[in-house]
Amino acid sequence: MGSDVDRGEEEEEAASELLRDRFRLCTISIAEAEAKQNGMEISQPIVACISDLAFKYAQQLAKDVELFAQHAGRKSVNMEDVILSAHRNDHLAASLRSFSNDLKAKEPQSERKRKKNPKKENKAAEDVLPIADP
Amino acid sequence: MEENTFEPELIRAIFKLVWERRAAEREKNQLSETEAEAGPSTSKRSRLTSINGNGLKLSCELLRVFVTEAIQRAATIAEAEGSLKIEATHLERILPQLLLDF
Repeated sequence: MGSDVDRGEEEEEAASELLRDRFRLCTISIAEAEAKQNGMEISQPIVACISDLAFKYAQQLAKDVELFAQHAGRKSVNMEDVILSAHRNDHLAASLRSFSNDLKAKEPQSERKRKKNPKKENKAAEDVLPIADP
Repeated sequence: MEENTFEPELIRAIFKLVWERRAAEREKNQLSETEAEAGPSTSKRSRLTSINGNGLKLSCELLRVFVTEAIQRAATIAEAEGSLKIEATHLERILPQLLLDF
């Protein structure tokens, strides 16, 4: 029993390591492009450090948006939750808000078409739920 | 959108790992509290949080902004010190405010 738990933790650790490495690769390309734009070189340990910071931030973000979605009574995280996670920084929130508006504007037709069917499903689910609740 | 950003699927995987870990912890706590009731724990497992496509893209953007802000602020300090390479001391200078801003 104990070894089973250990193995589960080890596997989780390995998966986390793999994600951290992939995350670092993404960070390196972003950071180096950004440094080049600023006419700067950047030493590798610093990029690794920033990557680890961003990874920690991503994990914290995951926890935050999950709690926000749960508080709103949803199982699925949407853009509002992500914007809410930046509410302490007005500039950041405004920037995310405009980015989200861009995303919304980009795919209005396909979204509307897709929404039609799920709505019916939702209605059906809502009809079922009150019976199941008590 | 030609700028490079984080892969949405990678971010989804990271989020999922955190949510699975938290769901497992919740389940463990519930089991120790009410071992007789098997019903709630199974419903919790099916209630694993998910994220929609736009939310994921927005999260990628938020993380990208975090990284670019770190670089830009450190670059400003490095420039002020007349250095052409961003070093640890530059990052140390901007780190407290960066962490407060995110």
